[in-house]
Amino acid sequence: MSSVNLAFAKELKAYSEDTALECFNCGTCSAICPLVHDNFPRRMIRYIQVGAKDKILENANDLWRCLHCGLCTHTCPRQADPGEIILGLKRFVVANWRA
Amino acid sequence: MEEKKNKVGVYICYCGGNISDHVDVEEVRNRALKLPDVTVARTNMFMCSDPGQEMIIEDLKSGKIDRVVVASCAPSLHETTFRGAIERAGSNPFIYEHANIREQVSWVHHGDPATDKAAILIASATAKAKHLKPLAPIHVDAKRHATVIGGGIAGIKTALDIAGQGIDVTLIERSPLLGGQLNSLGQLAPYGDHASDILKELIDQVTGHTAITIHTNTKVEAVSGYVGNFSLNLLKKSDPENIPLTLDTGAIVMATGSVSYTPFKGEYGFGQYESVITLPELIRLLKANTSSRSMLEVNGKPIKNMVMIHCVGSRQIPGIHPPKENGTLNEYCSRTCCSAMLNAANQIRETFPETSIYEMYRDIRTYGRGQEELYMQASANKVVFMRYEADEPPEVSKNDDPDYPLQVRIKDGLTFNESLTVPADLVVLATGIEPNDVTNLASQMKLPIGTDRFLLEVHPKLRPVEFPITGIFLAGTCQAPMDSGEACNAAGAAAVKASALLSKGYIELDPFVAEVDTDKCQGHGACVEACIKEGALTLMEVINPDGNPVKQAQVTPAMCLGCGACAAVCPEGAIDINGWALKQYEDMVDAIVSDSVAV
Ligand SMILES: Cc1cc2nc3c(=O)[nH]c(=O)nc-3n(C[C@H](O)[C@H](O)[C@H](O)COP(=O)(O)OP(=O)(O)OC[C@H]3O[C@@H](n4cnc5c(N)ncnc54)[C@H](O)[C@@H]3O)c2cc1C
Ligand code: SF4
Ligand code: SF4
Ligand code: SF4
Ligand code: SF4
Repeated sequence: MSSVNLAFAKELKAYSEDTALECFNCGTCSAICPLVHDNFPRRMIRYIQVGAKDKILENANDLWRCLHCGLCTHTCPRQADPGEIILGLKRFVVANWRA
Repeated sequence: MEEKKNKVGVYICYCGGNISDHVDVEEVRNRALKLPDVTVARTNMFMCSDPGQEMIIEDLKSGKIDRVVVASCAPSLHETTFRGAIERAGSNPFIYEHANIREQVSWVHHGDPATDKAAILIASATAKAKHLKPLAPIHVDAKRHATVIGGGIAGIKTALDIAGQGIDVTLIERSPLLGGQLNSLGQLAPYGDHASDILKELIDQVTGHTAITIHTNTKVEAVSGYVGNFSLNLLKKSDPENIPLTLDTGAIVMATGSVSYTPFKGEYGFGQYESVITLPELIRLLKANTSSRSMLEVNGKPIKNMVMIHCVGSRQIPGIHPPKENGTLNEYCSRTCCSAMLNAANQIRETFPETSIYEMYRDIRTYGRGQEELYMQASANKVVFMRYEADEPPEVSKNDDPDYPLQVRIKDGLTFNESLTVPADLVVLATGIEPNDVTNLASQMKLPIGTDRFLLEVHPKLRPVEFPITGIFLAGTCQAPMDSGEACNAAGAAAVKASALLSKGYIELDPFVAEVDTDKCQGHGACVEACIKEGALTLMEVINPDGNPVKQAQVTPAMCLGCGACAAVCPEGAIDINGWALKQYEDMVDAIVSDSVAV
């Protein structure tokens, strides 16, 4: 069980666009993603929404399987820009890898 | 051809194939013609069409028939159509009988059995029709005055709309204030109007209206009478001597509204932790808030993290939610709380950007125009949504963190059913709507109450603001959860129904009521004991032809339900129901069991 980390969204602002909360968890992006399965990229976006920083770091390997084809961003009905968020998370993970 | 004693005309409908695909209509016509009382039998593709009705009118005018049987769809659809045709022919509309050979025959039987059953139903209708006598509608003088019980927005709007039709209205409110629940609401979903502005406008109108009398602090003690002539006993709380006021009125509208659900102690920590409050309490806080800080403050404490839990006291499931002490469970959706929650969340996020909000829902039900936008707006305002299932609701408990006195644990469907804990300094429960308890009034007026405890209309689509008791209507949240706009819609509808009823100053009722044969009645009084409607039947002293006083039963036609309980018990056969006499039933049964129309 993880506790919701209220400060995480602010922490992430330095690395990524602040659009994660636009996402209403429809899963369209995960359905269309040709490379990664198991609810990717929605899973990552949800972890941002609830501030589950540890979960993001645990599953960081998945991030590098994204090749930024842009399909998810193109299909997102909420303009949450999932592709850009994944890119931001890569920056965040790189910065936090050994921290 | 020998002259027949009775002259029944039988008209059989094809219903464009709906009937004739399964019933051999021409064969049925031939068999009907052989019935002893039938002088004319005709068929038509659509009896309800002008040519179909014209056949009836011509036969009546030329004297070929003096009773009419139409065999077609259900009487609820076209009985009035054919009665109208008879009236246009200059005859009495009550010489009419209906045989339903669509819903009861062609839609459920096929082939020969369908044809046989249609013929039998027509034979039975004919047997009944020959005893029909011309009747006159019951004429009841009606007081051009309506009474509205309940002074919430629905009651106020009903009173205004009836008065607008030139009919006097009395509006009765048991509390000291008009306005009902809107008094405690602030900015309303979905468009953000202030409840106080709306109320001020309406209350100014209603108090200024010369045709409207308002009684606040007043209870309705007793109701008696019937449509056009009801009588109410009112009791004013301010009256130290408790002298009841009597009010005569022609129609009654129930607008007794609802209350917000009160959680039981310990339900999501309610009554246990002071930081757990209900949605109405939050709305009151927002209304009173004058702070210009960037964080919402409650009791002087800034709120950093607020959790809102949906569906509290609504959508309860047997076996999952414990019933109340009186055994009730609210299985319905309260319909207003999702939008009211989102509306409050938006206000907070837009006024106090440093207060974070987590909304835990089962489903988001922003069902009406302008409401889905509230949900979109809440997402844009960075409200975090979490989803729980009814059987695993969020748990509110104490937190050791001094910054957040509470924590809410949720198994979150949106986070792949992982368990998450949200630290919180305020928890708001979306308490739903429950009807005000009006069982006493309802039982006096014989008004039906649904299993959900809300008052029950005749039909949810076809007669949505009427009770089965003529002259009594309903509007607003006493009927079902609805928002104030919908309550006003219902009020308008109820007002039009009541005004139309009272506009002429008299009312015509169907004459299918009990009638006493004064030659036969011996004054046993068995009927009076059997009668289920108080005031419909009384034993009266009358002077018989020999000049002696005797007791006899007397019917008050406007009160009689036409149920027939009296006819069943009279040892003299002295009381019967017009249009539905015992002799008619006997002849119908005879016609069904005889082989007069069998092949
Ligand atoms: C928490 C909450 C938030 C809401 N938010 C919104 C919103 O944002 N927007 C919106 O449109 N709607 C909202 N609603 C719904 C709104 O409150 C109702 O639609 C509206 O109040 C219904 O009006 P009413 O006249 O039917 O009933 P009520 O407002 O309940 O009025 C009924 C009146 O009848 C009186 N009464 C009851 N019994 C008797 C009796 N026997 N004799 C005499 N008088 C009697 C009561 O005292 C009361 O004054 C909300 C409701 C709740 C609970
Ligand atoms: S951009 Fe990345 S996450 Fe989005 S669809 Fe393409 S591979 Fe998948
Ligand atoms: S498509 Fe957009 S809204 Fe839907 S889950 Fe993905 S990011 Fe969220
Ligand atoms: S309106 Fe929403 S919160 Fe209220 S009972 Fe229905 S689903 Fe639950
Ligand atoms: S028909 Fe029913 S309501 Fe009418 S007098 Fe007889 S018992 Fe009473």
